[in-house]
Amino acid sequence: MKKIILYSSILATICVLTQYCAPARFVKPLAKKQQALAASFGGPLINFSGAPIPVPFTTIGYGYGLTDGITCYGNLHTTSLMFRNFQADLGATIKLYEKEKKYGISISPALQIARSFVYNNTLRVWPNLDANAYFHFKERDSYFYTGINTWFELSGFKAHNEPVSQHVLPNLNVGYVFAHPKWSHQFQLGYMGVGIANLPNVAGYIGLAGTGALSVHYSLVRKF
Amino acid sequence: MKHLIGIFSIFVLASCAKLDSNLYNKKAITEYQLDNYSGEQDFKLDANYDIPQNLISVFTLASQADGEGKATDIKALYIGDQSRIAKDTVILYCHGNKWHMDFYWQRAKLLAHVNGKNRYGVMMLDYRGYGMSDGAPTETGMYADVDACMKWLKERGLNDSRLIIYGFSLGSASSTELSANVRTLKPSKLILEAPFASVAVMVQDAARLNMPAEYMTDLKIDNAEEIKKVNQAFLWIHGDNDNFLNYKTHGEVIYKNYKGAYQEKFIVPGADHGEIPVKMGFGAYLEVLGKFVRR
Repeated sequence: MKKIILYSSILATICVLTQYCAPARFVKPLAKKQQALAASFGGPLINFSGAPIPVPFTTIGYGYGLTDGITCYGNLHTTSLMFRNFQADLGATIKLYEKEKKYGISISPALQIARSFVYNNTLRVWPNLDANAYFHFKERDSYFYTGINTWFELSGFKAHNEPVSQHVLPNLNVGYVFAHPKWSHQFQLGYMGVGIANLPNVAGYIGLAGTGALSVHYSLVRKF
Repeated sequence: MKHLIGIFSIFVLASCAKLDSNLYNKKAITEYQLDNYSGEQDFKLDANYDIPQNLISVFTLASQADGEGKATDIKALYIGDQSRIAKDTVILYCHGNKWHMDFYWQRAKLLAHVNGKNRYGVMMLDYRGYGMSDGAPTETGMYADVDACMKWLKERGLNDSRLIIYGFSLGSASSTELSANVRTLKPSKLILEAPFASVAVMVQDAARLNMPAEYMTDLKIDNAEEIKKVNQAFLWIHGDNDNFLNYKTHGEVIYKNYKGAYQEKFIVPGADHGEIPVKMGFGAYLEVLGKFVRR
Protein backbone atom coordinates (compact mmCIF):
# COMPACT_ATOMS: atom_id res chain seq x y z
CA MET A 1 0.00 0.00 0.00
CA LYS A 2 2.75 2.37 0.97
CA LYS A 3 4.49 1.77 -2.29
CA ILE A 4 1.37 2.40 -4.28
CA ILE A 5 0.46 5.56 -2.49
CA LEU A 6 4.01 6.72 -2.88
CA TYR A 7 3.76 6.03 -6.57
CA SER A 8 0.60 8.04 -6.90
CA SER A 9 1.68 10.98 -4.86
CA ILE A 10 5.26 11.11 -5.85
CA LEU A 11 4.88 13.78 -8.49
CA ALA A 12 2.78 15.81 -6.15
CA THR A 13 5.65 16.11 -3.77
CA ILE A 14 8.97 15.48 -5.37
CA CYS A 15 9.09 18.86 -6.95
CA VAL A 16 8.76 20.31 -3.50
CA LEU A 17 12.14 19.01 -2.57
CA THR A 18 13.60 20.40 -5.71
CA GLN A 19 12.90 23.80 -4.30
CA TYR A 20 15.84 23.35 -2.03
CA CYS A 21 17.83 21.47 -4.58
CA ALA A 22 20.69 23.75 -5.41
CA PRO A 23 21.52 23.96 -9.07
CA ALA A 24 25.12 23.52 -9.96
CA ARG A 25 26.70 26.92 -9.55
CA PHE A 26 29.91 28.71 -10.32
CA VAL A 27 32.59 26.85 -8.46
CA LYS A 28 35.43 28.95 -9.85
CA PRO A 29 34.90 32.67 -10.27
CA LEU A 30 34.85 34.08 -13.79
CA ALA A 31 37.58 36.38 -14.98
CA LYS A 32 37.09 40.08 -14.31
CA LYS A 33 34.28 41.52 -16.49
CA GLN A 34 33.59 38.13 -17.98
CA GLN A 35 29.92 37.20 -18.28
CA ALA A 36 28.24 33.85 -18.46
CA LEU A 37 24.81 32.43 -19.08
CA ALA A 38 24.04 29.10 -17.48
CA ALA A 39 21.28 26.55 -17.61
CA SER A 40 21.04 23.62 -15.27
CA PHE A 41 18.94 20.53 -15.15
CA GLY A 42 18.53 17.83 -12.53
CA GLY A 43 17.62 17.17 -8.96
CA PRO A 44 17.25 14.45 -6.36
CA LEU A 45 16.85 10.89 -7.49
CA ILE A 46 13.48 9.37 -6.88
CA ASN A 47 12.12 5.94 -7.40
CA PHE A 48 9.57 6.22 -10.16
CA SER A 49 7.90 3.03 -11.35
CA GLY A 50 10.85 1.12 -10.01
CA ALA A 51 13.40 3.17 -11.90
CA PRO A 52 15.63 5.86 -10.40
CA ILE A 53 15.11 9.16 -12.16
CA PRO A 54 16.31 12.66 -11.32
CA VAL A 55 13.61 15.23 -10.72
CA PRO A 56 13.55 17.48 -13.78
CA PHE A 57 14.43 20.69 -12.05
CA THR A 58 15.64 23.53 -14.24
CA THR A 59 17.24 26.92 -13.77
CA ILE A 60 18.71 29.57 -15.98
CA GLY A 61 21.27 31.96 -14.64
CA TYR A 62 23.68 34.76 -15.26
CA GLY A 63 27.08 35.48 -13.79
CA TYR A 64 29.39 38.46 -13.98
CA GLY A 65 33.03 38.61 -12.96
CA LEU A 66 33.23 41.58 -10.65
CA THR A 67 36.89 40.92 -10.09
CA ASP A 68 39.09 37.96 -10.86
CA GLY A 69 38.19 36.63 -7.45
CA ILE A 70 34.50 37.50 -7.14
CA THR A 71 31.64 36.52 -9.45
CA CYS A 72 28.14 37.73 -8.79
CA TYR A 73 25.37 35.52 -10.08
CA GLY A 74 21.66 35.03 -10.16
CA ASN A 75 19.59 32.00 -11.08
CA LEU A 76 15.95 31.98 -12.06
CA HIS A 77 14.24 28.73 -11.16
CA THR A 78 12.21 27.98 -14.23
CA THR A 79 10.50 24.95 -12.75
CA SER A 80 9.06 27.21 -10.08
CA LEU A 81 7.73 29.54 -12.76
CA MET A 82 5.72 26.65 -14.12
CA PHE A 83 4.11 26.43 -10.70
CA ARG A 84 3.28 30.13 -10.73
CA ASN A 85 6.04 30.95 -8.29
CA PHE A 86 8.94 33.29 -8.53
CA GLN A 87 12.10 31.70 -7.22
CA ALA A 88 15.59 33.01 -7.65
CA ASP A 89 18.90 32.77 -5.95
CA LEU A 90 21.30 35.64 -5.81
CA GLY A 91 24.82 35.26 -4.61
CA ALA A 92 28.51 35.62 -5.19
CA THR A 93 31.28 33.11 -5.70
CA ILE A 94 34.37 34.24 -3.86
CA LYS A 95 37.79 32.77 -4.42
CA LEU A 96 39.46 32.27 -1.07
CA TYR A 97 42.63 30.63 -2.24
CA GLU A 98 44.02 29.42 -5.51
CA LYS A 99 47.20 27.95 -6.84
CA GLU A 100 46.87 28.74 -10.55
CA LYS A 101 45.83 25.73 -12.63
CA LYS A 102 46.33 23.41 -9.69
CA TYR A 103 43.72 23.82 -6.96
CA GLY A 104 41.69 26.36 -5.08
CA ILE A 105 38.97 26.99 -2.57
CA SER A 106 35.85 29.09 -3.05
CA ILE A 107 32.71 29.94 -1.15
CA SER A 108 29.34 31.11 -2.47
CA PRO A 109 26.98 32.80 -0.04
CA ALA A 110 23.54 33.23 -1.59
CA LEU A 111 19.94 33.98 -0.81
CA GLN A 112 17.10 31.87 -2.12
CA ILE A 113 14.02 34.01 -2.59
CA ALA A 114 10.61 32.57 -3.42
CA ARG A 115 7.06 33.82 -3.61
CA SER A 116 3.86 32.62 -5.17
CA PHE A 117 2.49 34.85 -7.93
CA VAL A 118 -1.01 33.93 -6.82
CA TYR A 119 -1.07 33.78 -3.04
CA ASN A 120 -0.19 36.41 -0.46
CA ASN A 121 2.02 35.80 2.55
CA THR A 122 4.14 33.30 0.70
CA LEU A 123 7.45 35.15 0.53
CA ARG A 124 10.27 33.03 1.86
CA VAL A 125 14.00 33.65 2.01
CA TRP A 126 16.55 30.96 2.74
CA PRO A 127 20.24 31.73 3.07
CA ASN A 128 22.62 29.26 1.43
CA LEU A 129 26.32 28.77 1.69
CA ASP A 130 28.43 26.79 -0.77
CA ALA A 131 32.00 25.89 0.03
CA ASN A 132 34.02 24.10 -2.63
CA ALA A 133 37.54 22.88 -3.28
CA TYR A 134 38.58 22.38 -6.89
CA PHE A 135 41.48 20.59 -8.50
CA HIS A 136 42.92 20.82 -11.99
CA PHE A 137 44.61 17.77 -13.45
CA LYS A 138 47.73 18.25 -15.46
CA GLU A 139 47.07 21.99 -15.50
CA ARG A 140 44.10 21.60 -17.83
CA ASP A 141 41.25 24.11 -17.76
CA SER A 142 38.80 21.41 -16.75
CA TYR A 143 38.62 20.61 -13.08
CA PHE A 144 37.16 18.32 -10.45
CA TYR A 145 35.48 19.81 -7.40
CA THR A 146 33.88 18.75 -4.17
CA GLY A 147 32.05 20.75 -1.58
CA ILE A 148 29.16 21.29 0.72
CA ASN A 149 26.07 23.33 0.02
CA THR A 150 24.04 24.26 3.07
CA TRP A 151 20.54 25.67 3.34
CA PHE A 152 19.42 27.44 6.48
CA GLU A 153 15.81 27.47 7.63
CA LEU A 154 15.39 30.52 9.81
CA SER A 155 11.72 30.05 10.68
CA GLY A 156 11.00 28.83 14.17
CA PHE A 157 7.61 27.39 13.26
CA LYS A 158 6.01 25.69 10.28
CA ALA A 159 2.43 24.73 9.42
CA HIS A 160 -0.02 24.52 12.34
CA ASN A 161 2.46 26.34 14.51
CA GLU A 162 4.59 23.25 14.89
CA PRO A 163 8.25 23.90 15.67
CA VAL A 164 10.82 23.51 12.92
CA SER A 165 13.18 20.74 13.93
CA GLN A 166 15.78 21.07 11.20
CA HIS A 167 17.39 24.46 10.68
CA VAL A 168 20.50 23.34 8.79
CA LEU A 169 20.17 21.25 5.63
CA PRO A 170 23.56 20.18 4.30
CA ASN A 171 24.16 18.77 0.83
CA LEU A 172 27.44 17.22 -0.31
CA ASN A 173 28.52 17.61 -3.91
CA VAL A 174 31.19 16.25 -6.22
CA GLY A 175 31.47 17.31 -9.80
CA TYR A 176 33.53 17.80 -12.87
CA VAL A 177 33.64 20.80 -15.17
CA PHE A 178 34.69 20.25 -18.76
CA ALA A 179 35.94 23.72 -19.50
CA HIS A 180 36.33 25.10 -23.00
CA PRO A 181 37.11 28.69 -23.94
CA LYS A 182 33.46 29.59 -24.62
CA TRP A 183 31.43 26.72 -23.23
CA SER A 184 31.62 24.51 -20.23
CA HIS A 185 29.74 21.43 -19.17
CA GLN A 186 29.31 20.76 -15.48
CA PHE A 187 28.29 17.38 -14.12
CA GLN A 188 27.51 17.06 -10.45
CA LEU A 189 26.54 14.26 -8.12
CA GLY A 190 25.12 15.14 -4.75
CA TYR A 191 23.90 13.77 -1.50
CA MET A 192 21.16 16.08 -0.31
CA GLY A 193 19.94 16.28 3.25
CA VAL A 194 23.01 14.55 4.66
CA GLY A 195 22.05 12.42 7.62
CA ILE A 196 18.41 13.48 7.58
CA ALA A 197 16.00 10.55 7.61
CA ASN A 198 14.09 10.39 4.32
CA LEU A 199 11.19 8.48 5.86
CA PRO A 200 8.42 8.95 6.77
CA ASN A 201 7.80 10.97 3.66
CA VAL A 202 5.47 11.10 0.72
CA ALA A 203 8.36 11.28 -1.72
CA GLY A 204 10.34 8.21 -2.68
CA TYR A 205 13.84 9.58 -2.46
CA ILE A 206 16.79 7.40 -3.20
CA GLY A 207 19.21 8.16 -0.44
CA LEU A 208 21.90 6.47 1.58
CA ALA A 209 20.99 4.20 4.47
CA GLY A 210 17.53 5.75 4.75
CA THR A 211 18.80 9.29 4.79
CA GLY A 212 18.81 12.18 2.35
CA ALA A 213 18.56 11.90 -1.41
CA LEU A 214 21.18 11.34 -4.05
CA SER A 215 21.08 13.92 -6.79
CA VAL A 216 22.31 14.49 -10.31
CA HIS A 217 22.82 17.82 -12.06
CA TYR A 218 24.03 19.01 -15.36
CA SER A 219 24.83 22.62 -16.20
CA LEU A 220 25.69 24.21 -19.48
CA VAL A 221 27.56 27.48 -19.31
CA ARG A 222 28.23 29.93 -22.12
CA LYS A 223 30.89 32.52 -21.42
CA PHE A 224 31.17 35.90 -23.08
CA MET B 1 22.70 33.29 -30.21
CA LYS B 2 19.79 31.38 -31.79
CA HIS B 3 21.48 28.20 -30.67
CA LEU B 4 21.70 29.53 -27.13
CA ILE B 5 18.06 30.61 -27.00
CA GLY B 6 17.05 27.20 -28.30
CA ILE B 7 18.96 25.40 -25.58
CA PHE B 8 17.58 27.63 -22.85
CA SER B 9 14.06 27.13 -24.17
CA ILE B 10 14.45 23.38 -23.86
CA PHE B 11 15.49 23.79 -20.25
CA VAL B 12 12.46 25.94 -19.53
CA LEU B 13 10.06 23.60 -21.29
CA ALA B 14 11.47 20.62 -19.45
CA SER B 15 9.78 21.87 -16.32
CA CYS B 16 6.78 20.25 -14.62
CA ALA B 17 3.15 21.29 -14.59
CA LYS B 18 0.74 21.95 -11.72
CA LEU B 19 0.56 19.08 -9.28
CA ASP B 20 -2.92 19.06 -7.77
CA SER B 21 -4.24 16.16 -9.78
CA ASN B 22 -1.38 13.95 -8.66
CA LEU B 23 -2.93 13.65 -5.23
CA TYR B 24 -5.51 11.37 -6.78
CA ASN B 25 -4.24 7.95 -7.78
CA LYS B 26 -7.36 6.98 -9.66
CA LYS B 27 -7.79 3.99 -11.90
CA ALA B 28 -10.71 3.42 -14.22
CA ILE B 29 -12.26 -0.03 -14.46
CA THR B 30 -15.14 -1.47 -16.44
CA GLU B 31 -16.71 -3.57 -13.69
CA TYR B 32 -16.51 -4.10 -9.96
CA GLN B 33 -15.33 -7.56 -9.02
CA LEU B 34 -15.36 -7.25 -5.21
CA ASP B 35 -14.67 -10.77 -3.88
CA ASN B 36 -13.44 -11.88 -7.28
CA TYR B 37 -10.94 -9.07 -7.49
CA SER B 38 -7.49 -10.60 -7.73
CA GLY B 39 -5.40 -7.46 -8.02
CA GLU B 40 -3.11 -6.16 -5.33
CA GLN B 41 -4.78 -5.62 -1.97
CA ASP B 42 -3.60 -4.80 1.52
CA PHE B 43 -5.12 -8.00 2.83
CA LYS B 44 -7.72 -10.59 1.96
CA LEU B 45 -10.27 -11.84 4.46
CA ASP B 46 -11.16 -15.49 4.85
CA ALA B 47 -14.59 -17.02 4.34
CA ASN B 48 -15.67 -16.13 7.87
CA TYR B 49 -15.99 -12.56 6.67
CA ASP B 50 -18.09 -13.32 3.59
CA ILE B 51 -21.13 -11.15 3.10
CA PRO B 52 -24.35 -12.65 1.69
CA GLN B 53 -24.82 -11.50 -1.87
CA ASN B 54 -28.28 -10.15 -1.15
CA LEU B 55 -26.72 -7.66 1.26
CA ILE B 56 -24.35 -6.19 -1.31
CA SER B 57 -25.50 -3.55 -3.78
CA VAL B 58 -23.54 -1.39 -6.17
CA PHE B 59 -25.36 1.58 -7.64
CA THR B 60 -25.02 5.01 -9.20
CA LEU B 61 -25.48 8.35 -7.48
CA ALA B 62 -25.66 11.83 -8.96
CA SER B 63 -23.14 14.16 -7.35
CA GLN B 64 -23.07 17.88 -7.97
CA ALA B 65 -20.65 20.27 -6.32
CA ASP B 66 -21.45 23.94 -5.82
CA GLY B 67 -21.00 25.86 -9.02
CA GLU B 68 -21.17 22.81 -11.26
CA GLY B 69 -23.65 23.01 -14.10
CA LYS B 70 -24.54 19.36 -14.07
CA ALA B 71 -24.25 16.33 -11.86
CA THR B 72 -21.58 13.66 -12.17
CA ASP B 73 -22.50 9.99 -11.94
CA ILE B 74 -20.50 8.25 -9.26
CA LYS B 75 -20.56 4.67 -8.06
CA ALA B 76 -21.23 3.61 -4.50
CA LEU B 77 -21.89 0.37 -2.72
CA TYR B 78 -23.89 -0.55 0.32
CA ILE B 79 -23.38 -3.57 2.52
CA GLY B 80 -26.49 -4.38 4.50
CA ASP B 81 -30.24 -4.42 4.24
CA GLN B 82 -31.26 -1.13 2.66
CA SER B 83 -34.73 -1.43 4.10
CA ARG B 84 -33.19 -1.12 7.58
CA ILE B 85 -31.28 2.11 6.96
CA ALA B 86 -34.06 3.98 8.77
CA LYS B 87 -33.18 1.99 11.89
CA ASP B 88 -29.57 0.88 11.48
CA THR B 89 -26.33 2.58 12.27
CA VAL B 90 -24.31 3.16 9.11
CA ILE B 91 -20.56 3.54 8.70
CA LEU B 92 -19.74 5.70 5.69
CA TYR B 93 -16.26 4.71 4.57
CA CYS B 94 -14.18 7.26 2.63
CA HIS B 95 -11.34 5.38 1.03
CA GLY B 96 -7.77 6.43 0.32
CA ASN B 97 -6.25 7.85 -2.82
CA LYS B 98 -5.68 4.57 -4.57
CA TRP B 99 -7.54 3.08 -7.52
CA HIS B 100 -11.11 2.07 -6.73
CA MET B 101 -13.54 0.26 -4.46
CA ASP B 102 -12.31 -3.19 -5.45
CA PHE B 103 -9.06 -2.40 -3.69
CA TYR B 104 -10.91 -1.35 -0.55
CA TRP B 105 -13.57 -4.05 -0.67
CA GLN B 106 -11.87 -6.14 1.99
CA ARG B 107 -11.78 -3.15 4.30
CA ALA B 108 -15.45 -2.45 3.75
CA LYS B 109 -16.26 -6.08 4.47
CA LEU B 110 -14.25 -5.89 7.65
CA LEU B 111 -16.22 -2.84 8.75
CA ALA B 112 -19.39 -4.82 8.12
CA HIS B 113 -18.28 -6.98 11.05
CA VAL B 114 -18.00 -4.25 13.66
CA ASN B 115 -19.95 -5.50 16.68
CA GLY B 116 -21.03 -8.55 14.70
CA LYS B 117 -21.67 -9.53 11.11
CA ASN B 118 -23.88 -6.98 9.36
CA ARG B 119 -24.78 -5.37 12.64
CA TYR B 120 -24.29 -2.00 10.94
CA GLY B 121 -24.65 -0.90 7.37
CA VAL B 122 -21.48 0.10 5.51
CA MET B 123 -21.42 2.48 2.59
CA MET B 124 -18.44 3.16 0.37
CA LEU B 125 -18.02 5.20 -2.78
CA ASP B 126 -15.61 5.79 -5.58
CA TYR B 127 -14.89 9.49 -5.82
CA ARG B 128 -15.38 10.96 -9.25
CA GLY B 129 -12.72 9.71 -11.61
CA TYR B 130 -12.10 6.60 -9.52
CA GLY B 131 -13.16 3.11 -10.55
CA MET B 132 -16.35 3.37 -12.56
CA SER B 133 -17.27 6.84 -11.37
CA ASP B 134 -17.45 9.48 -14.08
CA GLY B 135 -15.59 12.76 -14.10
CA ALA B 136 -12.24 13.82 -12.76
CA PRO B 137 -11.33 14.12 -9.10
CA THR B 138 -11.26 17.51 -7.46
CA GLU B 139 -11.26 18.57 -3.85
CA THR B 140 -14.76 20.11 -3.99
CA GLY B 141 -15.98 17.22 -6.11
CA MET B 142 -14.73 14.72 -3.56
CA TYR B 143 -16.69 16.43 -0.79
CA ALA B 144 -19.78 16.59 -3.01
CA ASP B 145 -19.45 12.89 -3.75
CA VAL B 146 -19.40 11.95 -0.08
CA ASP B 147 -22.31 14.30 0.54
CA ALA B 148 -24.20 12.56 -2.27
CA CYS B 149 -23.88 9.38 -0.22
CA MET B 150 -25.26 11.19 2.79
CA LYS B 151 -28.22 12.38 0.72
CA TRP B 152 -28.87 8.83 -0.41
CA LEU B 153 -28.75 7.61 3.17
CA LYS B 154 -30.94 10.42 4.43
CA GLU B 155 -33.55 9.68 1.78
CA ARG B 156 -33.72 6.18 3.23
CA GLY B 157 -34.24 7.40 6.73
CA LEU B 158 -30.79 7.72 8.24
CA ASN B 159 -30.40 10.48 10.78
CA ASP B 160 -27.37 12.25 12.25
CA SER B 161 -27.11 10.13 15.35
CA ARG B 162 -26.77 6.86 13.44
CA LEU B 163 -24.19 8.02 10.92
CA ILE B 164 -20.52 7.34 11.58
CA ILE B 165 -17.98 8.58 9.10
CA TYR B 166 -14.65 6.81 8.64
CA GLY B 167 -11.81 8.30 6.62
CA PHE B 168 -8.68 6.46 5.63
CA SER B 169 -5.69 8.47 4.40
CA LEU B 170 -7.04 10.72 1.60
CA GLY B 171 -10.53 9.90 2.90
CA SER B 172 -9.67 11.79 6.06
CA ALA B 173 -10.17 15.00 4.06
CA SER B 174 -13.83 14.48 3.20
CA SER B 175 -14.57 12.84 6.56
CA THR B 176 -13.17 15.76 8.50
CA GLU B 177 -14.60 18.39 6.16
CA LEU B 178 -18.12 17.00 6.32
CA SER B 179 -17.95 16.52 10.07
CA ALA B 180 -16.75 20.10 10.55
CA ASN B 181 -18.91 21.80 7.94
CA VAL B 182 -22.14 19.90 7.98
CA ARG B 183 -24.13 19.55 4.79
CA THR B 184 -26.81 16.88 4.49
CA LEU B 185 -26.12 14.94 7.68
CA LYS B 186 -23.96 15.56 10.70
CA PRO B 187 -22.05 12.38 11.48
CA SER B 188 -22.27 11.48 15.13
CA LYS B 189 -18.76 10.06 15.24
CA LEU B 190 -15.58 10.57 13.26
CA ILE B 191 -12.95 7.89 12.75
CA LEU B 192 -9.68 8.77 11.03
CA GLU B 193 -7.21 6.07 10.09
CA ALA B 194 -3.73 7.26 9.06
CA PRO B 195 -4.98 10.76 8.25
CA PHE B 196 -2.92 13.59 6.85
CA ALA B 197 -2.85 16.91 8.67
CA SER B 198 -2.85 19.17 5.65
CA VAL B 199 -1.35 19.72 2.26
CA ALA B 200 1.04 22.12 3.96
CA VAL B 201 2.45 19.39 6.18
CA MET B 202 2.86 17.09 3.19
CA VAL B 203 4.83 19.78 1.42
CA GLN B 204 6.92 20.68 4.44
CA ASP B 205 7.67 17.09 5.39
CA ALA B 206 8.98 16.55 1.89
CA ALA B 207 10.88 19.81 1.66
CA ARG B 208 12.14 19.94 5.26
CA LEU B 209 11.62 23.67 4.93
CA ASN B 210 8.88 26.01 6.08
CA MET B 211 7.58 26.15 2.53
CA PRO B 212 4.05 27.31 1.75
CA ALA B 213 1.92 24.59 0.17
CA GLU B 214 0.72 27.20 -2.29
CA TYR B 215 4.03 26.93 -4.11
CA MET B 216 2.92 23.59 -5.45
CA THR B 217 -0.78 23.21 -5.16
CA ASP B 218 -4.13 24.97 -5.06
CA LEU B 219 -5.54 22.26 -2.82
CA LYS B 220 -6.92 23.59 0.46
CA ILE B 221 -7.18 20.37 2.41
CA ASP B 222 -6.47 21.24 6.02
CA ASN B 223 -7.73 18.59 8.40
CA ALA B 224 -5.66 19.99 11.25
CA GLU B 225 -7.67 23.23 11.10
CA GLU B 226 -11.05 21.72 10.25
CA ILE B 227 -10.86 19.33 13.18
CA LYS B 228 -11.10 22.34 15.49
CA LYS B 229 -14.75 22.70 14.43
CA VAL B 230 -15.58 19.06 15.08
CA ASN B 231 -17.54 18.41 18.28
CA GLN B 232 -18.44 14.83 17.56
CA ALA B 233 -16.61 11.97 19.23
CA PHE B 234 -13.34 11.33 17.46
CA LEU B 235 -11.17 8.23 17.13
CA TRP B 236 -7.72 8.44 15.63
CA ILE B 237 -5.87 5.29 14.57
CA HIS B 238 -2.36 5.49 13.16
CA GLY B 239 0.63 3.21 12.77
CA ASP B 240 3.81 4.37 14.46
CA ASN B 241 5.78 3.08 11.48
CA ASP B 242 3.76 4.95 8.87
CA ASN B 243 6.41 5.75 6.30
CA PHE B 244 4.03 7.75 4.15
CA LEU B 245 2.14 9.98 6.56
CA ASN B 246 4.20 10.51 9.66
CA TYR B 247 1.94 9.87 12.63
CA LYS B 248 3.62 12.66 14.56
CA THR B 249 3.55 15.42 11.94
CA HIS B 250 0.15 14.43 10.55
CA GLY B 251 -2.14 12.42 12.84
CA GLU B 252 -0.88 13.78 16.11
CA VAL B 253 -1.41 17.38 14.99
CA ILE B 254 -5.03 16.62 14.15
CA TYR B 255 -5.51 14.85 17.45
CA LYS B 256 -3.94 17.75 19.33
CA ASN B 257 -6.13 20.30 17.56
CA TYR B 258 -9.39 18.50 18.32
CA LYS B 259 -11.42 20.59 20.78
CA GLY B 260 -14.55 18.46 21.02
CA ALA B 261 -16.08 16.47 23.83
CA TYR B 262 -14.44 13.07 23.40
CA GLN B 263 -11.35 11.80 21.68
CA GLU B 264 -9.57 8.54 21.65
CA LYS B 265 -6.41 7.38 19.93
CA PHE B 266 -4.96 4.04 19.07
CA ILE B 267 -1.36 3.97 17.92
CA VAL B 268 -0.49 0.67 16.31
CA PRO B 269 3.09 -0.46 16.95
CA GLY B 270 5.01 -1.31 13.80
CA ALA B 271 2.16 -0.56 11.40
CA ASP B 272 2.96 1.17 8.15
CA HIS B 273 0.41 3.06 6.08
CA GLY B 274 -2.34 0.62 5.15
CA GLU B 275 -1.18 -2.07 7.54
CA ILE B 276 -3.28 -1.19 10.56
CA PRO B 277 -5.95 -3.93 10.38
CA VAL B 278 -3.31 -6.56 9.67
CA LYS B 279 -0.84 -5.44 12.33
CA MET B 280 -3.55 -5.06 14.94
CA GLY B 281 -5.21 -8.30 13.97
CA PHE B 282 -8.72 -8.16 12.57
CA GLY B 283 -10.28 -9.07 15.90
CA ALA B 284 -8.47 -6.36 17.82
CA TYR B 285 -9.19 -3.83 15.09
CA LEU B 286 -12.89 -4.62 15.17
CA GLU B 287 -12.90 -4.49 18.95
CA VAL B 288 -11.43 -0.98 19.02
CA LEU B 289 -13.95 0.20 16.44
CA GLY B 290 -16.81 -1.62 18.09
CA LYS B 291 -16.12 -0.11 21.46
CA PHE B 292 -15.92 3.37 19.99
CA VAL B 293 -19.12 2.95 18.00
CA ARG B 294 -21.01 1.65 21.05
CA ARG B 295 -19.99 4.42 23.40
